[in-house]
Amino acid sequence: MSVLDWVVLTVTLAGIILYGILRSRGSRSMDDYLLAGQSLPWYHVGLSVMATQASAITFLSTPGQGFADGMRFVQFYFGLPLAMVVLSVTFVPIFHRLKVFTAYEFLEDRFDARVRTLTAGLFLLQRGLSTGLSIYAPAIILSTILGWNIYLTNLLMGGIVLIYTVTGGTKAISHTHLQQMVIITLAMGIAGYLTVKLLPEGIGFVDALHVAGKAGRVNLIDLKFDPNSRYNIWSGLIGGFFLQLSYFGTDQSQVGRYLTGETIGQSRLGLLMNGLLKVPMQFLILLVGVLVFVFYQFNPSPTFFNKQETDRLKASPYARQYQLAEIKHQNLTTQRQKAVIDMQAALKTDDEAAQNVASNTLHETDDALKTVKADVAKLIKQNNPAADTNDVNYIFLRFVLDYLPHGLIGLLIAVIFIASMGSIASAYNSLASTTVVDVYKRLINSKCSDTQYVAISRWSTIGWGIFCIVVAQFANQLGSMIEAVNILGSLFYGVILGVFVVAFYVKSIGGGATFWAAIIAEVLVVASWYFDLTAFLWLNVIGCLLVVGIAWILQRTIYR
Amino acid sequence: MPENTTDLPPFVRSWAQLYAIVIGCLVLEMLLFYGLMRWLS
Repeated sequence: MSVLDWVVLTVTLAGIILYGILRSRGSRSMDDYLLAGQSLPWYHVGLSVMATQASAITFLSTPGQGFADGMRFVQFYFGLPLAMVVLSVTFVPIFHRLKVFTAYEFLEDRFDARVRTLTAGLFLLQRGLSTGLSIYAPAIILSTILGWNIYLTNLLMGGIVLIYTVTGGTKAISHTHLQQMVIITLAMGIAGYLTVKLLPEGIGFVDALHVAGKAGRVNLIDLKFDPNSRYNIWSGLIGGFFLQLSYFGTDQSQVGRYLTGETIGQSRLGLLMNGLLKVPMQFLILLVGVLVFVFYQFNPSPTFFNKQETDRLKASPYARQYQLAEIKHQNLTTQRQKAVIDMQAALKTDDEAAQNVASNTLHETDDALKTVKADVAKLIKQNNPAADTNDVNYIFLRFVLDYLPHGLIGLLIAVIFIASMGSIASAYNSLASTTVVDVYKRLINSKCSDTQYVAISRWSTIGWGIFCIVVAQFANQLGSMIEAVNILGSLFYGVILGVFVVAFYVKSIGGGATFWAAIIAEVLVVASWYFDLTAFLWLNVIGCLLVVGIAWILQRTIYR
Repeated sequence: MPENTTDLPPFVRSWAQLYAIVIGCLVLEMLLFYGLMRWLS
């Protein structure tokens, strides 16, 4: 990174922090601090919801996904607009009318204090650990590529966001989210435009799309129903719908965003704006990755995008094997370059037979390159068993550093920080609000003044910030902890969703049945995981169904 | 919190109509994606 990049990065981040602090002065009541006085218009709500969901990994991993696997990942978001409609009809009016600060307050109104405390506790455990991971995941990529110290990067990622989150609360978060989304959209737009400009003379945007299409990267829709295929239209519409419903409906980091709407209508409009914009946004981010893929069809690409690991390999006993793999890779990229030029010529002359020949060669070289990469990944693992052999997250940043101009590099690094700050700020705020509203105020001291509760909320935000940064530092030392945190999320998310499904849709079931159903379901989910009965992602569905089923049985037997 | 139709965009008459627009846009996007995929492959 050059001096110019550092200046752009520092000015952008400092600008956001200052803006957040200035726009949120005077947050003295609980309503102001935790819900921005329920005064925000729909576009603030919508952008805040979008910025909370879009983490740093969205901008690091999604273009890499487009590069490696094409655009089929976009189908994962097809269920989101449907979930936004269901939330607007059911969840938003109820949360607004009850004037709740957190989603879990509603559970006491519907059931009893036990169900509220249990669900809030499960949320705090899950969100606290997963926020630590949200800090660590982009920090490890930035520190690897830029050679920064991982502990310091973790501290920066999790620490700078605390400045305006603690002082300004939700108002600061919402205002900075708006600014963050503008910067992110602008920077990604410029990156996409410059990628097209970097293509060889005579290759325009439409030509690039044709090359991507022929190479199988414009695989936007898969109509085949296959439970083993991760992304198809059915898993996107059905699985995606349940996933987004549980995330937006029961996770306080999102509920806290749309409760800031001035009216029910403004909150609804914010969510529906997210429903309208999310799919096109993901499409465009994937498109940037596909354009990077096209760029590398005309230019030599690295064998493995995580340069730190290949540098280690070069200095290891596996250096000779790696060198042979590199030679093979170079030959294949030359072959690919020739095929893509042939393809371009065939497209211009509309020669279908030549197009098919070039397309087949392109697919064959692509497969051969994947095999070489897999061999290199094996060498990396043999040399360093703790190494990450998936380089998808490194593709976009490697391209940015190698080919984009200085200044824009600083801006795109800032985008990664900004995206991370957006989601982490919402997480800190939701952890603090749940701690104060559902634990401290409900169980410990309900007689404080509004000013005292705001002070406790501030200290709680600091406390959770420190906790999450500590989790991130441990994730650095214990590689397996990443998986452990993901599993922990799946252990609790399904049960929480189950409780909310009973609350909203099965009116005949009471608090006692739901509380014990949640406890039994949680034990069964943990047992399923412990005895390795199913892949951990399915625990979300199992947890939800178990709560609904057991609560229904208990209500009709013991609690009738 | 008041719920009223004044929050609706000027060209929309009811919330049900707005929900239909959101779902309709999703269907349109899926059709466009399908067309784009077929055209480019």
